[in-house]
Formats: sequence, structure tokens, C-alpha cells
Amino acid sequence: MEEPRIGVYVCWCGTNIAKMVDVEAVTNEVKTLPNVVLAKNYKYMCSDPGQDLIIKDIKLQNLNRVVVAACSPRIHELTFRTACEKAGINPYLFEMANIREQDSWVHTDRTEATNKAIDLVIAAIRRVRYHEPLQKRSVNVNPATLIIGGGISGMIAALEIANAGKQVYLIEKSDHLGGQVLKFDLTFPHLSSAQQMIRPIIQRVMSNPKISVFLDTEIIEVSGYIGNFKTLITVNGNNPVELAFGNIIAAVGLKPFDPSVIKEYNYKEFPDVITSFEFEEKLLAGKILTVYGKEPRNIAIIHCVGSRNKNYHEYCSRVCCMAALKYVHQIRAALPFANIFEIYADMRAYGKGHEEFYALTTHKQNIFLMYDQQKQLPVIHQADRSDDCNMIIEMNELLSGQSIEVPVDMVILMVNMEAHENVKQVVRAIGVSLCGNQFFIEKHPKLDPVATTTGGVFIVGTCQGPKDIPDSVAQARAAAARILATVAQGSVPVEVTTAAVNELLCCGCRTCIKVCPYTAISYDEIKKASVVNEVLCKGCGTCGSACPAGAIVSKHFTDFQILSEIEGIMSMSYKTS
Amino acid sequence: MSTRLQPELRNQLMQYGIGDWNACYHCGTCTAICPLSEKGFLFPRKKIRLMQMGLKNEIESSVEPWLCYYCGDCTNTCPRDANPGELMMSLRRYLTAIYDWTGLSRKFYTSKIWELGFILVFAALVIIAFLVLLPSMGYTLNKELTDEGGVKINSFAPINIIETFDWTMAIVVAGLLISNILRMYYKIIWKHGNTKVTAWVHIREFWRLVFNFAVQPKFGKCEDKRYWVSHWLLMSGYTIMFIVIVVYLPWFQTEKILPAWHPQRILGYYATFGLLIGLFVAITGRMRRKDVKFYFSHVSDWLFLVMLTLTVITGILIHIFRINGMPYATYISYITHMTVLVPMILIEVPFSKWSHLAYRPFAIYFQHLKRYAVPRKTKHL
Repeated sequence: MEEPRIGVYVCWCGTNIAKMVDVEAVTNEVKTLPNVVLAKNYKYMCSDPGQDLIIKDIKLQNLNRVVVAACSPRIHELTFRTACEKAGINPYLFEMANIREQDSWVHTDRTEATNKAIDLVIAAIRRVRYHEPLQKRSVNVNPATLIIGGGISGMIAALEIANAGKQVYLIEKSDHLGGQVLKFDLTFPHLSSAQQMIRPIIQRVMSNPKISVFLDTEIIEVSGYIGNFKTLITVNGNNPVELAFGNIIAAVGLKPFDPSVIKEYNYKEFPDVITSFEFEEKLLAGKILTVYGKEPRNIAIIHCVGSRNKNYHEYCSRVCCMAALKYVHQIRAALPFANIFEIYADMRAYGKGHEEFYALTTHKQNIFLMYDQQKQLPVIHQADRSDDCNMIIEMNELLSGQSIEVPVDMVILMVNMEAHENVKQVVRAIGVSLCGNQFFIEKHPKLDPVATTTGGVFIVGTCQGPKDIPDSVAQARAAAARILATVAQGSVPVEVTTAAVNELLCCGCRTCIKVCPYTAISYDEIKKASVVNEVLCKGCGTCGSACPAGAIVSKHFTDFQILSEIEGIMSMSYKTS
Repeated sequence: MSTRLQPELRNQLMQYGIGDWNACYHCGTCTAICPLSEKGFLFPRKKIRLMQMGLKNEIESSVEPWLCYYCGDCTNTCPRDANPGELMMSLRRYLTAIYDWTGLSRKFYTSKIWELGFILVFAALVIIAFLVLLPSMGYTLNKELTDEGGVKINSFAPINIIETFDWTMAIVVAGLLISNILRMYYKIIWKHGNTKVTAWVHIREFWRLVFNFAVQPKFGKCEDKRYWVSHWLLMSGYTIMFIVIVVYLPWFQTEKILPAWHPQRILGYYATFGLLIGLFVAITGRMRRKDVKFYFSHVSDWLFLVMLTLTVITGILIHIFRINGMPYATYISYITHMTVLVPMILIEVPFSKWSHLAYRPFAIYFQHLKRYAVPRKTKHL
């Protein structure tokens, strides 16, 4: 190994750091350490002049290691790595010390903050001495895409990719495309027809030469990694078919909650207590009738059935409030004199045009009744013979503080949207994780909502969480754009700081295989050692710390690097104590 | 115990006023902004809720509608344009109809034909009385009445008959009002809830009735004090006039023209002035429709204003013609005066708008009774 020649740069970050840390003192303190060729400070290291300073020094002073003490590496590590690369040294020969978030922003004593900054910089200097150059790698991408689920999200994504001229395999468990939207009559908030919207999309998908649709299809297994996946599927239970593709979109959707577990609602006991999905069937059939064949005079719509309740599901299904308001318009159009009771817990009208829709609905002569989801659900029971209604809903009405009886002939339960039971099978096949509510977990809840922690696997629509049609479609198009970007590139960069197995030390205990969250490690029976698939590996380091033989090295996080960093942290403490 | 919703009641209530009360989403801004809403007697939001749900008993046992003087702040600040002020007004009309056991009030409020029909019938009866009944009893328009340039109004309309009639009318109206107030008391205090009010509280709080009738301090709490002034002038003018023509008619209506400083004339002028100011504010307000309180006018509002204006104008004309010794003009004005006055008193006071002169102070009295209500002893089973 060549002799390390380290350049240290302490950033002021305007006054963010310089106010609490004596940057001059830090610079002077580390200047004389072994291997440190130079130490400088500057107002803004991330600025162009700041980066130029590093590049110039690397070239003139022949530096081969760089330490920047500034903000969090999450913000500017890439900036400085790129600067190193420009100057001709490997970007992994760089280390960052965080003296802003971890120091100047959280301390009030200038001397102590300065001492801490010195500790952090020394640690970085010690660590960077053992840094090794790592090479960036990439894998080729198969331009075909597998889409699991033929609902609106899956179909929109399929069309988006197919329209760019790329092959799509669209697999659907049932015998038809369309998903849940096909079950709806009208959509909110514009009361436009769901059928007129979804049916042409199905047509376009079926007739698109770039989309191969597989109905009645189940996935047996998925193998491979980003850019190079393979799957085995069975169509109609026939012999397995193998497909190869570069990316996966999971659009498996969800299913309506079964309200028969809620005793209070007597669903299935009383035939005129129906779910919102069953009511959609009535609307599509064109007649709102009770089981007795009569037009109901009093209709209650109960919100949050199975939602926002610790006994069932704690989350909000997002679409039921607006769908319930939609029913008011549809019932009012069909039955002008019916009494419509909207029994809700809270009205959620957050989307575009939703609040206006809510306001509009209040003029439809319906009665809003509020119940306390946490205390007592409304109870539906049979009416007496003397009553002029079929059922009575007993409830504590929150806004009046009265306990009341609501006469009803039909009750519509706005059922929660929950994950499919068989979602776990898909999850195992494509290697993504589920949250507590059995919804797929996205890579980042805000900044990367359609990607997953597995490269090349995207999640769209309601399998990621309940959402309405516009949100599902937006996600579908977003995922399609992400995939088309990698397909256009032809290759994707893969993680560099992966784990590596020293086959000579590996004892074959396979502990690493059990702990790997990315299923990136397999066991080579011939070599009798674990093997890391460097494309699947994310460099999380779990295997490295679990390996009892010390056979696994996490690149860029080697024992040497980490131990020197710790020594560095401690060195000044010895001095001051 | 739970109450059954009566959605139909809502549609009934809609007939008593104009408002899209269903639009209310219960933010409570109206209750927060109302200077009269207070702990234990919160409105308008809670009343809108009762209305939306059609909880008949709860509405009928409410005093709150009478505690509102319709300043319009709630309607102005309502984010949903649900018009809470007008709801309170409509509830007052509804309650008036509910207190009235004859059922006429409901007819008058919900049917223009009934209200106008009754007014016309009473008017016709007055005209018949003057043109047919009195002459048949020997009170004809003979030369004596027009001779000597004097106006002999107490002979034209024989004062003893008129006085008897006035008393009869007052007793009928008072009887109706008192029986309705008893029903109001029954609904608000007696029947409602599991509480009772001791006799001592009834006596101790009685002064509030008189005080609130005379001064209307609650109205004065509204932001715009001008309406309190004009309303008080109207109320005091009306009350003075009512008392002098019923109780002191022979003193008030003399054939001899007394000097201008005489209390008889001063009281008359004050009452006329008060009525004119009050009417001017109310009529111009309702015509300009600038303030929320005057924005929505029910038929009953206009009918009352028109009748009272006609009564005042004909009263002024009687006075002018009488002073100037113009017998025919005086008598014609007198007949017109009575033709408007009688139906106004008979319809407006017990059955319609004017009944609030009794219901409001009584409601405030009942409010204070409610405040000191104690739980009834319940029998443990």
C-alpha cells in the first residue's frame, strides 16, 4: 500500500459550524498528525470554490486521501466523492466527519464543541488511512417488465411501458382484467362513470401487441436480481411457463374487509345490511331495492367499518368517506324522498375537489350523524312490528350529545380496504417487506414511494396502502417512468460497498444466510462456503457482524477501518483526561 | 333513554324560514361568536343539530331560540353559509306554533292563505260592525255628529261599546297568550328532564320577567346597539298605546281637545314617535336588506309591519282630522284604523310575530328557573 497522503478540510458552513466550533483550532490541531499533508478551513466547502480547493490540492500536493469535516454525509458525501473522482483519485478514498448535526448544532459550549470536532476529525483521518479503492459496477437490464395484477394501476403501468415500445408481461390471478374499479358504478368527486373509464383501458391493454396478458395465473417463483429476473408462472393450472424480464411492478391491490366479525352490525344476520361493494352491484344493476323488493324509505350509510378501530384495522382507508358521499348523490337521484343518514366518525375530505364535494353533498337533504369510533359503535337491530321501518340503529350522537335511534330499511357498510391474504406469497416471491397492516413497504415513505428496498421491484396502487384512483394511476405512471429510465440506460449501477466472503475462513455454518434481509447470500455446496450475490447485496453489514468465523468482510466497513476510527475518537480523550 | 329521529320534522321546520341548515358541519363558530350564548344555554350550533336530527322533544323544550335577538353575527361568520341566525328565527316561529294549542298559529305561519284569510275576515267583521251593527243599534251617522263643526268620536263609536270591546279583545288575547305560556312552561320546565324547580326560586326570579320585558338588556348585549334603541322605542310606544286604549280609553280618547302639554297628548305623541322610529328602522332595513337580521323576511314579518304601519298612520290621521274639526275624514280614518288594528291584535299577538313580547321575557325567566333546577328524587327500584 502506498503511503497515505491526507488532505483535511474543515468547513465553516457559514456560521453554522464556525459559531460553535473554533475551526482554526481544529485545523491547527490535526495539521501535525501523521500522514496529514495539509489541513485547511473554508467558509463553504460544498461551494464550487471549496470543491476546487480540494481538486487543486489533490493535483498539486499529490494527495491520495481526503477528509472533509462538515455536515452530514447524507447531504454532501456524494458532492465530495465526485470532486475526488474529478481530481483523479478513487471516490472511496474519501471520508467525511459530521461536525454540524453531531456537533455545532447540538452543543452550547464552544470549547467542548471544538474538542469534539477535533475527536471526530481525528477519527476520520485514522479511518481514511485504511480506505481501499472500490470500483463502481453495473448490470445490464432486460427491457421486459413483469406486472403482477391487472387492476387499474397494473394496466396503466403496462400501457405506459408498452407505449414506449417495451415488452410487458401482465399477469392476473382472476379470469378478467379491471380489478376493483370494474365493480364500481360512478367515481367521486365528479360522479363520472367508472365503467366508461375502465373498459376502454382493458380493451387497450388486451389489444396492445407489446403487452402479453396472462389471466388465471399464479406465480410459482421469482428469481434473479435487478435487470435480470426470471419467473415461473402457471396459467389455468397448466404446465409452468418461464418468463425473463428486468423489472417487476407489484400491483396486487387489496380486498374489501369482511364486516361479519363486527357483532354490532349484524352483517349476514340482516339481509338488508350490505357492504359498499354489494351496494355498487345494486347501483350497476340500476335498482336500489331491499330484499323484500321494496324501495327503502330510510337508508343509513355507516362509515369506518373495520377502519380506524383498534379491534379491526387502525388505519384509515382513505376512499370510503368520499364514496359514502357519492352514494348520497346516487340515492337522492334514484329515491328523491328517501331519508339518508350518513353515520360517520370523522369526515375526511383531503383530496382535490373533495371538500367541495362534501359541501355540495350537504345540500342533498341527508342527515349527518357522528359516532365515537373509540367508545361505542352504532348497533343495528331488528325493528319491532309496530315500527314503520325494518331496522333500528342505536347510537350515541356526538354532536348533539344525545343517544338516538335511527329508523332504517337498508344499511350500507363502508368497508375498510385490507390487504389480500395471499399477498405473502407474492412478497416471498419478489423479496419485499410488509408493514404491520400487510401493505408493501416502499423504499422511502416520502422521497421514494414506488420503489422498494429490492432493486428493480416497484409497488404501485393499493397494495402499498389504500388510495383512490388518481393516486394509484400516478404511482403506476411513476413506476413506469422509473423502469423506462433504467431500460433506456441499458444498465443500472449496483451497490459497491457489498459484503465479501473469505472462503478459506468460512466454516459453512450458514448463519449469514439466515440473517440476510435481501436473500443475497447462498451456500456453495462444492466450495463448502457462503457466496454473496453482489447485485442483491445492499451492504447492510448484518452478515459481517453475525459471522462467528470473521469470514465476511463488509467492503468500506472493514474491521481495520472501524477500529481505527474508534481509536481516533478515543485518542484526544486520553490527552485531555 | 334514546330518542327516535324524526327526519320529517326537518321538512316541517323548513316551512318556518329560509336556510340551508343542513350545510352546517358543526364547527361551532356561531356559538363562539354569539354574545348571548352562555354556559348551559349554548346556541345556535346545538339547536341546528337538534333541527337536523329532528329531535322534537329537545327542540320544544328549548329556551335558547328566545334568547337570540338575531344580530346576524353567526350568519355572517358561518363558513358554510348555513344561516344559523335565520334558523333561530325559524325556531321562534316554530315554537310559537307549538305553544299555541289552537293550531291556528301553525296554519298562519305555514299558509299565506290562512293568514291573509283570517285578517280579511276580521277586517270585514269590523267594517260590518261599523256599517251594519252599530246603525242597527241606533248609532247612525246623524246630523248631530257632524254639526257644530266638532268631531264627536265617542258618540260615533260609542265609547262604552268600544271600551267593552277593547276589554273583551284584551281578555281573549291575554287568555290565549297565558294558556300558551303555560304550555311553554310545561314543555320547558315541567316536562323536561329529571329536575324540578322550587316555589321559592319561582318567586325569587320573578323580577327578571318584568325587568327583561321593560328593558330588554339581552338585546343590548348584541354588537349593534342601535337596534336595541329602535326596538325599545317601538316596544315602549306600542305598550303605552296598548295600555291607554284598553285600560284608560275614556281618559285617552276625549271629545274635548286638551292642550298640547296635557299628559294624554304627550303620552300619545311619545308612543307615536316610538312606533314610527321603530317601524322606519324595521321597514327600511328589510327593504335595503343590508343587515343579515333583515335579509330574510317571512310573510308574517311583512304582514305585521304593514298592519302596524297602517294602524299608526290611520291613528295619526284621526288625530289630525279631529283637531282640525273634520268629522267625516275622522270617522273614515277611525273605521280604517279599527279595520287594521283589530285583526292585527287578534292574529299577531296570540298567534304570530307579536307573541314574542310575552315569550321572550318568559323564556328568560324560565332560563333562570332552569339554572336553579334541582334533581328530582328518583325512586330506587
